[in-house]
Amino acid sequence: MAKQQRIVGERRWVSTASGVLAWFMAFLFFFPVLWMVASSFKTEISAQTEKPNLKFDGGLERFQDVSKNLPGTVTFLKALATSGFVVIVSTIIVLLLAIPAAYTLAIRPIPKWRNVLMFFISTKFLPIAAAILPLYTIFKKIGILDTRLVLVIAYTSMNLPLAVWMLRSFFAEVPRELIEAAEIDGATFFQRLRTILLPIVMPGVSATALLCFIFAWNEFFLAVNLTTFRAQTIPIWVTTMISTRGQFLAKLSAASTLACLPVVIAGWAAQKRLVRGLTMGAIK
Amino acid sequence: MTAATTAQHRSNPLRRRQWSRRLPLLPALIFTIVVTQLPFLVTVWYSIHKWDFLKPGSFKFNGLSNYTKPFADQFFRSAAINTVIITVGTVVIASVFGTFLAVLLDKPFFGQGFVRTLLITPFLIMPVAASLIWRHGFLDATYGFFNWIVQGLGFDRIAFTSKYPLLAVVFVLVWQWTPFMMLITLSGLQSQTQEVLEAARVDGANSFQTFRSLTLPHLRPYLELGALLGSIYLLQTFDTVDQLVGGAPGARNIPYFIYQRSIGGGWRFGQASAFGVVVVIATIVLANLALRLISTLLEGDV
Amino acid sequence: MKPPRTSRTVKMAGAIVVFGLVAAGCGGSSSAPAAPETAAAPAETTATPAETVAPAETVAAPAETTPAAAASKGEITVAIVDNPTMKDIQTLTPDNFTTQTGIKVNYVSLNEQTLREQVTKSVGSGAAQYDVVMIGPYEAPQFGANGWLQDLTDMAAKDTAYDVADLIPSVKGALSNNGKMYAVPFYAESSFLMYRKDLADAAGVKIPEAPTWDEVAAAAKKLNTPDRSGICLRGKPGWGDLGAALTTTVNTFGGTWWDANADGSIGKAQVDNGGFKEATNFYVDLLKTAGEPDAANASFNECLKLMQDSKTSMWYDATVAAGILESADSPIKGKLGYALAPTKLTKASGWLWSWALAMPEGVKDKEAAWKFMSWATSKEYIKLAGTKLPGGWAGIPPGSRTSTYAIPEYLAAAPTFAPMTLRAMQAAPIDNPGTTKRPGLPGVQYVGVPEFADVGTRCTAEISAAIAGTQSVDEALKKCQAIASEATTG
Repeated sequence: MAKQQRIVGERRWVSTASGVLAWFMAFLFFFPVLWMVASSFKTEISAQTEKPNLKFDGGLERFQDVSKNLPGTVTFLKALATSGFVVIVSTIIVLLLAIPAAYTLAIRPIPKWRNVLMFFISTKFLPIAAAILPLYTIFKKIGILDTRLVLVIAYTSMNLPLAVWMLRSFFAEVPRELIEAAEIDGATFFQRLRTILLPIVMPGVSATALLCFIFAWNEFFLAVNLTTFRAQTIPIWVTTMISTRGQFLAKLSAASTLACLPVVIAGWAAQKRLVRGLTMGAIK
Repeated sequence: MTAATTAQHRSNPLRRRQWSRRLPLLPALIFTIVVTQLPFLVTVWYSIHKWDFLKPGSFKFNGLSNYTKPFADQFFRSAAINTVIITVGTVVIASVFGTFLAVLLDKPFFGQGFVRTLLITPFLIMPVAASLIWRHGFLDATYGFFNWIVQGLGFDRIAFTSKYPLLAVVFVLVWQWTPFMMLITLSGLQSQTQEVLEAARVDGANSFQTFRSLTLPHLRPYLELGALLGSIYLLQTFDTVDQLVGGAPGARNIPYFIYQRSIGGGWRFGQASAFGVVVVIATIVLANLALRLISTLLEGDV
Repeated sequence: MKPPRTSRTVKMAGAIVVFGLVAAGCGGSSSAPAAPETAAAPAETTATPAETVAPAETVAAPAETTPAAAASKGEITVAIVDNPTMKDIQTLTPDNFTTQTGIKVNYVSLNEQTLREQVTKSVGSGAAQYDVVMIGPYEAPQFGANGWLQDLTDMAAKDTAYDVADLIPSVKGALSNNGKMYAVPFYAESSFLMYRKDLADAAGVKIPEAPTWDEVAAAAKKLNTPDRSGICLRGKPGWGDLGAALTTTVNTFGGTWWDANADGSIGKAQVDNGGFKEATNFYVDLLKTAGEPDAANASFNECLKLMQDSKTSMWYDATVAAGILESADSPIKGKLGYALAPTKLTKASGWLWSWALAMPEGVKDKEAAWKFMSWATSKEYIKLAGTKLPGGWAGIPPGSRTSTYAIPEYLAAAPTFAPMTLRAMQAAPIDNPGTTKRPGLPGVQYVGVPEFADVGTRCTAEISAAIAGTQSVDEALKKCQAIASEATTG
């Protein structure tokens, strides 16, 4: 009995300590983000000092600065429109392509489905830097450099393997009997997909969409090489904040805060589903 | 497409049935082949030519002579080593931190959900923004937050990004990828059955023993999955090398190296393509090993 | 799966939809994000009003009429280098160019290294993404000879108002090849030494008008304090960054990147020995003993900031910096002294550079492009910059036109550095920069061969690492020698 109590006591002590430790670690990891947001409410002079301070003397001025660029340069709203368009459209196309593919690989899989899945995943191993030169010359030949279309194509191919991988895992969890019952009823492929499968795997689909969204929103290398002015995206826009006249840390912080906001909010809202999306079905 | 395909195979009902089963796969497959394999073939084509972009008319066939370089080039070698250090270093450190944080988060405590929310945030931050904020706000030699601490501790200022570029890159990547590893291990922990742990405790095993002999083996596939997905993205790291340390030689990895040899200033497209092909082949070999890992992950499925 | 999941499903789907709407909604306020590609282009031109808000001091009534005019007369995209002088033209363009001509100008402002990559890629592949690009005397003759640039000779000659004869001959010459002019200079510069006269006097340091590197090093060490570095020198990788300052030093120490063959072609690499080695050791030592903190990350903009913040006493860099340091709104205005670029074995060592505007081959609206180029490099623009900018006459784009040095207001605003700039530009040893013959086209701080840019950039990255202390100068130069040798063997 005494031993039992000691264990309970020890456990309570341990759980308090681990809670405190968790809070502390969370603070450490979150601090850079917090500092970035804090810096965006400062003037340039108080943002870049040798001794950190908490003077929020900039108010919302930095946000006004970054959303009102020099004449002729890409504005925040235009970059946001480009990023929003490219990311949403490419994510939709990814889903349209990946859902049927995942279906084929998971539900009554075709022969050698593993090889096909391996093929999709293996394309993610190709160093994109090795492919950028031919991509550039091919896209130049077609005449779509510096358009939203070129980024939609690039981001679709970038996210498609991951989406196929994740969605296949979800589909693999659907009880076989349901599908067989539908097949006996004589439902067509699309009917089966729409009425039986999609409702079940919807959380997985939305988690996949979210992850595609995050990766496309944050993408830098393809954007910097395939676009210049007309299709400048948010990550490129952020880099234009540096190397201006004088100090720029507050402006850079404000721009980064704006740039990260959509993905951070979406990620916070869907954090639990994100994990499930990555591990569900993949591990039994 | 449906009509054409069915018409073609009307004579053979079995094949027709097989094709209709494969059909939903085709759009994704064809798209992926066109957008990823076609450029690779073009790269191979370029790689057997001499092509110096800055000298128009220099495009001419030169067989395999571009392929003698990669194996002798010291810069290519150091880029390969840096790539391995960046990828493996980040994956290992982030997995250890991630597991540690996941274990902390697994026990209920006040503000658990909020703490988890804070912890995942670095993964959601745009890598370019993260690199720039770290570089100018934290690691800067004069105005960086870290140097204020370093000075407060009585040391001289450290120019982190130029003096320790590789370390700086791994550091920032660990910051970004620890939350990802944490999320995956957390889902592993939560799928563990409590009865087994309880039984072990009753048997007198302490927390560390339980963790080592029960939890860790259970977490293995999760850690493998995290390592795999992480490596896929970390192998391609470009933003951080470019924006955090400006491509300093000490941190230059394969993506940056190939970029620099081709459209990033080298303009030797033939030679750069040969580097690219060699890297692709090397990665395919490595990827095969990794893919075998996926295969073990896929076991138990249909 | 169990029923409760459906409610989560709905919530999740809802979150995605809401988020999609937020993103789309934000976009909707500027142009039509959901519109197909073709529709998106015209939408851009109508988005102008929000962008044409000029800085307070230049807000004028004509701004109201901009949108209508802009929509009718076309639009050009210009790639420029990101520095303070170029910020000025960006603010002046809407009210002083677009209003008059109806041509809308989109600026793509990039740092030096990125600008070169983007421009080379775009111009060389004929992508025609830019109507006007900013390049220098390194690129102009080479790109011109490659057939990548429009020959501007006739266009400039026909445009009588432009007064092409007024362009400073050496600058114009460096932008030409075989008598064809491929670019027009926006501003031109040499390099010289800027120093804080007040601090030097206080420390009893005397800097001659034409100092040697040894004298400069001694002065830097004397002026070096824990809070303020003795000198600021470029240490950031890039042939146009560290490469420019270092190469002028190498030249005057008797070193060279490559020997020249008898026919002027590129010979053996000479990076790990002789003058090159001596100069690099000198340069790195000077930075380590009396240089700015984190010199490996510093170039023009970083040194400029340190100078403005009184965190360095001397600075060896582009003459154009003086205009910014002496501008009306500068905190250290009037406290500066100037001296010619430091030397060792040669008589003069200052570089010669210009940031110039060129028109890529394949540009559709040549007339609009030339209108912009001729306006930006005209006498009127210089006058405009002198009267309308907060920096005043000291901050005008210098070095492009002979007539600039006859403007009384300019000479009054820049009594110390304007004559010194002109002297430095005339002294720049463009044809014979070192002690030996150079391969390729003329050049001081660069070698006029296509191989140089890549070799210079990769090699300066190694030397920058030596400045940071991650490797020794000898190791860096050994790698540099390999890089430079590889370039000559193909």
